[in-house]
Amino acid sequence: MNIGELILVAIESIKSNKLRSFLTTLGIVIGIAAVIAVVGIGQGGRAMLMQEMEKFGTNMFGIWVNYRDGESFRLDDLQINDITVIKENVPQVKYLAPASYGQMQLRGSKGHKSVQVIGTTADYAQVRNLETVWGRFIRDDDAAVGRRVIVLDERTALKLFGPGNPVGKKVMLMSNSAVVVGVIKSDSSMLGFNSQQIAYLPWSFLSRLNGWEVIHELQGSASSKEEVEAAMNLSKKILERRHHAPNHYYAYSLEQEMESANKVTGIMTLIIGCIAGISLLVGGIGVMNIMLVSVTERTREIGIRMALGARRKDILVQFIIESIVLCLLGGFIGIILGYGGALLVARLAKWPPLVSGWTVLLAVGFSVAVGLFFGIYPANKASKMDPIEALRRD
Amino acid sequence: MIKINNLSKTYSTGAFTVPALKGITLDIAPGEFVAITGASGSGKSTMMNLLGLLDRPSEGSYLLDGMDVSNLNDDDYARLRNRKIGFVFQAFNLLPRLTALKNVELSMLYAGTKHEERRKRAVEVLTLLGLEDRLHHFPNELSGGQNQRVAIARALINNPAIILADEPTGALDSQTGLEIMSIFQELNRQGTTIVLVTHELNIARHSRRILRMADGLIINDEEIARPLDAHNEIQALREKGGRA
Ligand SMILES: Nc1ncnc2c1ncn2[C@@H]1O[C@H](COP(=O)(O)OP(=O)(O)O)[C@@H](O)[C@H]1O
Ligand SMILES: [Mg+2]
Repeated sequence: MNIGELILVAIESIKSNKLRSFLTTLGIVIGIAAVIAVVGIGQGGRAMLMQEMEKFGTNMFGIWVNYRDGESFRLDDLQINDITVIKENVPQVKYLAPASYGQMQLRGSKGHKSVQVIGTTADYAQVRNLETVWGRFIRDDDAAVGRRVIVLDERTALKLFGPGNPVGKKVMLMSNSAVVVGVIKSDSSMLGFNSQQIAYLPWSFLSRLNGWEVIHELQGSASSKEEVEAAMNLSKKILERRHHAPNHYYAYSLEQEMESANKVTGIMTLIIGCIAGISLLVGGIGVMNIMLVSVTERTREIGIRMALGARRKDILVQFIIESIVLCLLGGFIGIILGYGGALLVARLAKWPPLVSGWTVLLAVGFSVAVGLFFGIYPANKASKMDPIEALRRD
Repeated sequence: MIKINNLSKTYSTGAFTVPALKGITLDIAPGEFVAITGASGSGKSTMMNLLGLLDRPSEGSYLLDGMDVSNLNDDDYARLRNRKIGFVFQAFNLLPRLTALKNVELSMLYAGTKHEERRKRAVEVLTLLGLEDRLHHFPNELSGGQNQRVAIARALINNPAIILADEPTGALDSQTGLEIMSIFQELNRQGTTIVLVTHELNIARHSRRILRMADGLIINDEEIARPLDAHNEIQALREKGGRA
């Protein structure tokens, strides 16, 4: 008897008891659906996270001052000259901008708003992939000549001036004024980075407003993804040397952040995978139970088949195949349900639904494995029957 | 065809041992039509199970179709049952979820016959038995006589050396029983070896040799010079029915 015919026999017998077969596979359906949904949602979420992070440019890195216990804040830990030196000496660094943070009350013709201000240079737009809606970003000559200009993000512009292009209009900040030279597209990131309203000033202008020079952070980008590590570390070394301060600086890259994000989603996938595994186990035990019932019910059939020339091996294979087909059936329903679930969540969360062929293959593999594992015992029982006893049973 | 020597079978159930066959020696030649009769519990079914390789004797030897089968394993037994033996049971023993055609094909399935060949032969044999318009009926859609004919078709399909029938008319009314006997007689005329178990003398007298069993032994072995002819009996019954 070849495999194809055995599969037909299995389908025949599953069809003859549709309701019971369906109930039996329910555990498998739920297990597989959970696997598919979880993996699909996980992969979709991860893809979305990556997408969001890549908006910043994956080549990005940053350097902070690493204050340890007992160290006090010093204005000159990061200096504007450091940037020049690093850019001259580290070829891997493509852009490098200072960032000086503060909070300021801005007043426009239509309203006022307290926003975060960032004092920086032209490179910042490159590092952070900023998109201009109107006008331009800060230019190097602004900083050089100390021009009193300001760049707003869309939402701030709307608040201060109402809809329309505000370029050329005047913003009051504290007791000073600045001219709007550009508007930056507001970040619509789901992750909530940058969701506050922001205004950008030339670093030198902000320093003058504050009355002191300070750089809280350097943000840069490397020429390529591969060079991020080198750019970051070499920059840090130069700072340490220039300031005679080993271990005084802390560097991070988006690459690193992504890796740890990957780790977190990986662990979550693992945990939910375990839950799915348990439900597959329970489903498998259900299948075994029903197969045992089926073997008992069909004792006479087994006897007849043996009388007609079925070897013990034929009976064994017949019931194992039946168990596998049953689980595969549950698996297919589970794949469809799980895919539906992943699709639904993806729709709601607005991220790409991702159920890879590999995942589906894995689910099919699991179904077969469960069917095989939990089918062996009942099938073995069937194949060990005494044909005379079996024929006598009704 | 069949040569058994001092065959015995003892069942042990817990503390008790039941000697079901107590040393039987018997020859059955090709083309014979043998009926085994005897009271209930005399060992007829045990004998058939041994002849049909469904069970193993406790002692004695068994030559089937010239081959000593005493020392073969389970797989060999299964193969021999498939190729050399056709079973017909009292309760038909058809698979209820399969059509007549599929039931007949089943024996060929285990013989490894190809699909088209199986279909062709099953249709042939079922047609021979007058079931050409019942091919796709399920057992519960057929009468007892029709079911038994399907079972006979299934027994014949692999051209076995011998047909073993244990009470094949036991579940049928007397006229249908005669129809089945008429089929056996026709098959035997064409050369098929048949061993039939029955406790009804009227049925046994259609064979050409009657073995009477009692207490696990053959106590009488009798050639029947003039067996009853089932076909004539049916004709006679029909005429009587027609006149009434
Ligand atoms: N599986 C068995 N276990 C124990 N005793 C059995 C078994 N099968 C048959 N017997 C006994 O063997 C004897 C012969 O039985 P059997 O061959 O079925 O007789 P028959 O078919 O002529 O009625 C009986 O006494 C019966 O009780
Ligand atoms: Mg009996």
